[in-house]
This record gives sequence, structure tokens and C-alpha cells, in this order.
Amino acid sequence: MRLNDFFLITFLSVREQPLRSFLTALGIAVGISAVVLLTSLGEGLHRFVLSEFTQFGTNLIAINPGKKSTLGVSGAVISNVRPLSIDDADALSMLPGVIKSQPVIQGNAAVEAGKRQRRTTVFGVGSDTPEVWQLSVAAGHFLPNDPPRNARPYAVLGSRLRKELFKQEPFLGKRLRIGGEVYRVIGGMESKGQMLGFDLDDAVYLPIAKAMSMFNRESLMEIDLLYDKDHSAESITIAASKMLKKRHGSEDFTITTQEQMLETLGSVLNILTIAVGALGGISLVVGGVGIFTIMTIAVNERRAEIGLLCALGASRQLVRLLFLGEAITLSLLGGLAGLILGVGCALGLALLVPALPIHTSWGFVAAAELIAVLVGLGAGVLPANNAASLPPVEALRAE
Amino acid sequence: MRISDMFTFSVFAAIGNRGRTALMLLAVSIGVASVVLLVSLGESARQYVSNQFSSLGSNLLIVLPGRSETVGGPPPLLGITPRDLTIDDAETLARIAVVRRFSPLVVGAAPVSHRQKEREVTILGASRDIFAIRRMEIGQGVIWPANDNRFQAVCVLGSKVKSELFGNDNALGQKIRIGDYRFQVIGVMRPKASSLGDDLADMAIIPIASAQALFDTSSLFRIVVEAESEAEIAKAKEAIIRTIRARHDGEDDITVITQDAILATFDKIFKAMTLTVAGIATISLIVAGIIIMNVMLVAVSSRRAEIGLLKALGAPKRQIVYLFLTEAGAISMAGALCGLGLGGSILRLLAWFLPQFPIFFAPWSSIVAFTVALSTGLLFGILPAQKAADLGAAYALSRR
Amino acid sequence: MIELLNIERVFLVGDEEVHALRQISFDVATGEYVAIMGSSGSGKSTLLNILGLLDRPDSGVYQLDSQRVSELDEDHLAEVRRHQIGFVFQFFHLIPRLTAFENVELPLTLAGVAPSLRKQKVTDALAAFGLRDRARHRPAQLSGGQRQRVAIARATIMEPKIILADEPTGNLDSSSGSEVINILEELNRLGITVIMVTHDHAIGARASRIIRMADGRIESDSRHR
Ligand SMILES: Nc1ncnc2c1ncn2[C@@H]1O[C@H](COP(=O)(O)OP(=O)(O)OP(=O)(O)O)[C@@H](O)[C@H]1O
Ligand SMILES: [Mg+2]
Repeated sequence: MRLNDFFLITFLSVREQPLRSFLTALGIAVGISAVVLLTSLGEGLHRFVLSEFTQFGTNLIAINPGKKSTLGVSGAVISNVRPLSIDDADALSMLPGVIKSQPVIQGNAAVEAGKRQRRTTVFGVGSDTPEVWQLSVAAGHFLPNDPPRNARPYAVLGSRLRKELFKQEPFLGKRLRIGGEVYRVIGGMESKGQMLGFDLDDAVYLPIAKAMSMFNRESLMEIDLLYDKDHSAESITIAASKMLKKRHGSEDFTITTQEQMLETLGSVLNILTIAVGALGGISLVVGGVGIFTIMTIAVNERRAEIGLLCALGASRQLVRLLFLGEAITLSLLGGLAGLILGVGCALGLALLVPALPIHTSWGFVAAAELIAVLVGLGAGVLPANNAASLPPVEALRAE
Repeated sequence: MRISDMFTFSVFAAIGNRGRTALMLLAVSIGVASVVLLVSLGESARQYVSNQFSSLGSNLLIVLPGRSETVGGPPPLLGITPRDLTIDDAETLARIAVVRRFSPLVVGAAPVSHRQKEREVTILGASRDIFAIRRMEIGQGVIWPANDNRFQAVCVLGSKVKSELFGNDNALGQKIRIGDYRFQVIGVMRPKASSLGDDLADMAIIPIASAQALFDTSSLFRIVVEAESEAEIAKAKEAIIRTIRARHDGEDDITVITQDAILATFDKIFKAMTLTVAGIATISLIVAGIIIMNVMLVAVSSRRAEIGLLKALGAPKRQIVYLFLTEAGAISMAGALCGLGLGGSILRLLAWFLPQFPIFFAPWSSIVAFTVALSTGLLFGILPAQKAADLGAAYALSRR
Repeated sequence: MIELLNIERVFLVGDEEVHALRQISFDVATGEYVAIMGSSGSGKSTLLNILGLLDRPDSGVYQLDSQRVSELDEDHLAEVRRHQIGFVFQFFHLIPRLTAFENVELPLTLAGVAPSLRKQKVTDALAAFGLRDRARHRPAQLSGGQRQRVAIARATIMEPKIILADEPTGNLDSSSGSEVINILEELNRLGITVIMVTHDHAIGARASRIIRMADGRIESDSRHR
């Protein structure tokens, strides 16, 4: 049989019962659109989280005091007997490949400006923060590169804190009182937004040494290394680890590369997306049951037709292929409709709820379509085999 | 027509075409089973977490230094502040009537060594009440005597730390080095059954004053407080805030979180997740509904003569609608029953394979699944039933 | 009891009008035994369907027991069919999944009669038609004649005033055929009006009145005996 005749016959039998074919395909379409929509949401979330992380740049390495523990954060971040020091941060900045080394301490304090007061996050940092964390200065300057021991009492405001304390008034040069000491505002940052619960805008940036003495801490909480793109994360990790071990005499710190973190996070989110897609896939399986049902009915109803085809010399193989073709046509049509429906819903949802991160991943879409065809194939096999194995005489007798 | 007769007629009509009916049942039962399964798993997880929480102790409040100004913002969990919480702050909480017991906490990491073995261990400085508050049991030995405010060179080891430093040897009475100090092991904790409560297995616990000396700090990481009763949690929270404010020159610079609040947040998250997942599974029931509609439409055309006969025998339209709706409803109900059985069996199987995770059957899942299955069945049955009722009697009776 | 005046029935097949019935007018009195004859396609079944309220005429007036049934709504028509008319078909129209007993019981079930009363009536009816030991059989396990007897038992179970039979012997051999006709004649003797479509002249000749149709019209209407 010619291929185009084969397609024509398949198409005609699908069109013969338009409502029935429509409903059968609709089952698959609902399944596919559920998969497409859900994976779009999953993928959107994936991208959203990754972009939240990468807004600090990807070639970052974080060093925290204490060995990594099962709890995630080591108790050593809070207190320890072997502190991570500003000198450590300085030494690390000398490593080849390291562009900047950034000491960090984070706490909570009341910030007073005249009569207004606000409790906020205090970041004790070095002068390279804008570059390392990819922040930009909106007005004035960031903290100068003073020697740590005699840093000048300067402060830089996050955008939210600035609004809370000064509204629209000028703020450069104004005085702040934080933890009993007086600081002068020399700059304000652009808004960076929330990052997984941390609001970088509701914060004040102080010189690291000042913050450490204010909080009465010996140890940094973190050192962030910004490294050259030409160097690999591993080589920097190894070099930093070697240097710190030499300085401390033991491995009492944890190094996390942004790359590692993104990888772990990425694979977790991928699993999530696939899991959610699989949940949608249940509907697809049920849709497959629908195809199976309708094909079984079709074989039953068309016994006479099958008998006639056999009498006219059609091989069993051809009969089987005709019915398989019909099943696959149904699932394919359903799959395409589901694709349009799913992508449409995703777009509509994105328009209705702009805050929702939605991204249709064509990889998942292709996988869903493939599964739809496989479902059609799987659901068609048994009825098609039944059709092919009908004895022609029996088939013809059935009126 | 009597309802019982209608039911019998429809059920026999469905049974009359075994193959189709079985396939419709399959479709519905897959949907129902997945709803039941996912909802039950979600509920089990929720229960699991809340059990884990209660194994941490009950009626707990946590006092943190620092405060976030934004309402509903995250508490300053790593909060270090210019004005610290101190032991004296903690002591004043003893005066609050609704506080049953409390323990100040200092947390840090330090190298711990015994003979040649050295490990970095999380050190928890606390008062002896922490054991009662966190429901921790001493496996061997004792807790230090109630004099937390003086340096005492004694420690209680978590079960994991003990076995890493001492293996199977007896640890009681042995000296170990923590940082620059030498401590005597006076107790070893019994491992906890729940995993969330067993974070302490990997710690060494020392008196609060010893921890402050070890880390050379006068500040507290936080204070854990147990209220007299559940009803008294809110009162305790208020009293704590008031007491500390009075000591801190009228400044509100602490955050008090209740365990209830944390648990409620988890509960909300789990509930939302369970509902979402159940909603997704419900889509498959809609697909099953579409299948029911399709097959019933086929049945209407293949049972045309029968419909004609019913009309000739004087069945009004309404009657024929009811008959087909009953059939669709009966099929979806039966499918729901099968699905319930299927879901239940899978749950049992899972429970058998994962004995450490308490999996149970959430009764409301079956109610949801039943309702959705039945209503989709009836909803998707309407069109075929209407079609059957609208068939012309003369046409339906004629052969083609 | 039956009065037809200028009944017309037109089917639309594509764009073409098929006049199945043209200007049909006749009366049937209670207790008559009427045979309708005529060549294939002459409109006999269409007429019978209209008489049985399964179909509506496009124009004309149909009065049953002095009631203009052409004006009744669907539910009332169903009620009239349920209580006053019994049908017998060429192809029996028994429900294959139901037993002979259940098939005969069906009109009673539809009418909401209590089960105990139903059982009594159906048992009696089956016995009357010589089907007592066939009660549990399904249609597929019965001979053609037995099937038609089950159908007649079903048609009479509600004690109708009229029995309409469309070629009741068309699918039967001559001996089962005459058996069926004997039953219908017996019912007629009991006072039931019988209107029957048939192709068989011998059977037609046994009726008290023959209406001959051709091309949708009444060609002749003759009474004898
Ligand atoms: N539903 C319909 N749609 C279109 N045409 C119809 C329909 N029913 C009947 N007809 C036409 O009306 C005419 C009369 O049909 P009818 O069935 O009454 O004939 P009949 O006398 O019973 O024939 P037979 O002896 O073969 O049963 C025929 O020409 C037929 O084609
Ligand atoms: Mg006819």
C-alpha cells in the first residue's frame, strides 16, 4: 500500500466519527497540557531561583568558619575558637586568579538618624562589595579602602533603609548612630531586591573592622572570593584551602563554590520539575486508557470492514498497521492540541499573575509529545493485534 | 420507575458490556488512586513533621537577639547585635510565672580531642534544664549539678560524638580536650528515634558558663523557654518581651518566636502542597470523565434500538436521561471504589517498604476522590444521556 | 377510537422531499382487526409509527379516543403509549442482556409497579403464551417464534387497548408465523384492537379489514366478514 493512501485511510477513519475522535484526543490533550503547564511552572521556578543566585555573579567562592556539618550551617559561624580573620581575607586576595577578597560579618542593630530609627541588617564588609556582590552605588561612594585597624566611621545605606530614614531628603553627609557609635553616610545603593529572604535593600554597610568591634566578634562569618573567569573553581578552591590550612594549622573552614551550589540546586529543581511533570503524566496515562477503550470499540464495530479488507487481500500486518496508525493519529492530534492548550494556559497565567515565574521548556514539551505518541502506540497495540488476528470468515459474518 | 429498578437496569446495562465498563473503571480508578495516594502521602508527611517537632519538646519559645522591622519578615536567625542577650537577661525570665523552665544557649564549634583522635564538634553551652526541655535522655552517666553559672569542666557527649571519639570504650570519667580546656565526660546521651530531634547526637553539651569561657564571649546565641502550658504560650511571649525591654532601657531589640508559629508555618506549607498535588491528580479524573462521556456516546448509538424500545414502551424522556446518568454515576462510583482499593493497597505496600516513615491513609482523601469521581461521572454523563433522550423513537427503532 | 384526517408525513433527505404519507384519512373502531398491506416503501411503517405515537405527522389531525393526540406533549404521549398501546416488531426488539422474564417485565418496571405484583403478572403472562419454562432464558437462547411470543407478552402486559404489529411474521417461518397470528387473533377476540402490517396475502386475508397503500396513499380500504 502506498504511504499516502495509508495516511488517507487512517485520516478518514478518524474523521468518520468526529465527536468520538475529538473526545479521545481531548483526553490526551488535557494530559499533555497539564504536563506542559506544570513543567513550565517548574522550569520557571528553576530559572527564577538560579537568577536569584547568579545575581551575585557565578565566579564566587564562599569560605565559612567551621567544618561543614549535617545541619548545613556550622555552629562555628556563630562562635569558634579558631577565628577566620581579616588577615586571612587579605592573604587570600594575593592568590593568583583571585580578583577580590571580601570579608563579611552580618548582624542586627538599630540605626538612628535624627529622630527616626529602624532596626535593620548590618553588613560589615570590605571596600570591594559592589564588585563582588554586583551591587551598584546610586549616590555618593561605597566604603573606602581604609586599613582595617583605623577605618573611618563611614556608612552606606541600602535603598529601603535610606527611604525609611530619610524619605526624599538629602542623606549624603548625614550622621547615623549605630550601636553607640556615630557614622557618616557617604553613599546609597541601588535597589537589589530580596534574595531568598535576605533583603539587601533593608541594610546598612559598615567597614568590617568597625562592625566586628561593634558586635564584639573575633571571627568573620564569611569570606567571598571573586576569581578570574580564566581560572577554574576547583583550582581556586584548592589554592585557598591550602593557604588557609597553612595559616590555621588545620582544616577548620568550609569552602562552597557558587558553581557547586548552582549545580546542586539545579539538579534538585530539575527533579522537582520532572516530578511535577510526572504528576501531570497520570492524566496522560488515563488518556491512554481512553485511546485503548475507543480502539477496542472501533475494532469491534468494524469487524465487517476488517473481514472485507482481508477478503480483498490485505495482510494481517496491514490491518494491524491501519489500527495502530489510527491510535497514533489520535494521540498525536491530542498531543498537538494539548501543546497549544498548555502553552496558551502558561502564557495566560503569566499575563494574569506576572509575579509567577513561568518558562516553557521545549525539551520538556518535546518529551511530552514523544510520550503522547508512545501512549498512543501502547494503547493501540492490543486492539490492533486483535483486529489483525480476527478470522476473516468470522469478521465478515458479523453483519 | 422505582429508583431501585432504575439502578438495577443501569447496572446491568453497564455489566452487559464488560470490556468497556472495565476500561472506564480502570480510568476512574487510576485517577482516584492517585488522588488518594498523593493526599495520604502529603498528610503523612505533615503528620511526620509535626511529630518530629513535638519530639523537640512542647510549648517552646525561642528568644533571639535582634529584631526585623518588616512585619512578617524573616527573624534574624544568625542575629548578632551590639547589645547582646546575656545570662543576666536569661535569669530574669525565671521570675515569670508562666515560664516553667528555660535554658540560655551558646553555640559554637571547637576541636575536640581524645588521645590521638581529634574532630571538630559543635559545642552547645546550656543549662541543665535543656535536657528536660528538649526531651533528651541520658544513656549513661549523669547531667552536671545545678550550678550553671560557674565554670565546670564537665560535658555530656552526643551519641555520635562519643562513638567517634571512644568507639565502644567507656567514655564516662575520661578527660577530653575542647579548644584550650580539658573537660571530663560525665554523661552520654541516648540516641533519639526521630531524625529531626537527633541533631544533638553530633554535639557536645557543656554548662553555659563553661561555653562562654571557651568562646570568650559574654553573649548568648538564644534562650529556649518552655511555657507552663499551651494556653500560656502567648502570655509567656508577652511577658518575656516586657521583661527584656525593661532591662534593655525600654528598647525592643529581641525577637521571640514560638514553636507553634513555626509548626503552623510548616503545616500551612504542607497543606498547600498536598492540596496542589491533589489538584493535579484531579485532572486525571477529568480525563476519566471525558472517557466516560465518549464511551457513553458510543453506547447511545449502539443501544439505539433499546432506546427506541424504551420509548415505544412509554418511557418519558426524563426517564431515559435518568437511566443513562445512573449508569455513568454507577460506573464512576465503582471506579472510585476500585481506585480506593488500589490506592490503599499501594499505601500499605509503601508502608511495608518504608517502616521508618509512618504512612497512613487520609480519610478525607477518599471523600474528595469519591465526590470528584461521582460528579465528573454525572457531569460528563449529561451529554450522552440527553442525546439518548432526544433520539427519535421511530428512527431509533428502524434498522439503520 | 382512531380517527385520522389528512395526515401528511414528509422526510427531508438532503434537499429532496420524500412524501412518505399523503392525505391519509380513515377511522378504526374499537375491536377491529386491520391489516395494512402494500409494496415496500409505500409508507406502512411510517403510518404505524404515527398511529403508535412514535412519530408526529407534519400536518393533519389524529384523534385517539376523541383526544387530539397530535397536540399532546412528549411526556403525555409517553404516558398514552405506556398504558394504551402495545407494539410488536418484525425484529422483536428484545433487550439481549435481559431474560425473557425481565423483557416482559420491562413495561411494568417502567410504570413503577411494585415488584411482587410484577412477578405475579409476568409469570401469568409467560404461562399464557406457553413460555413458562423459558423465563430464565435470554433472547439469544430462544427460537424466533418464542422470541416473538415474548415480545407479544411484553406488548400485552399493560393490558393495552390497541396492538400495533409491524410485519410480526416477517422474520419467522410459516408455522411460527401462523402461531403468532393465532395469538393476535385471540387477543382481538378478547376485544383488543389489532392493526398489523404484513406482506403476506394469506395472513392479510384473515383480517376483517384490509387497507392497501401505494406511494404514501390509501389505495383501497375493504372490509369483509
Ligand atoms: N427517517 C426517514 N428518513 C427519510 N426517509 C424515510 C424515513 N423513514 C421512511 N422514509 C421513507 O419513507 C418512505 C416510506 O417508508 P416506510 O418505512 O414507511 O415504508 P414501508 O411501507 O414500511 O416499507 P417496507 O415494506 O419495506 O417496510 C420510504 O420511501 C422511505 O425511504
Ligand atoms: Mg416497514
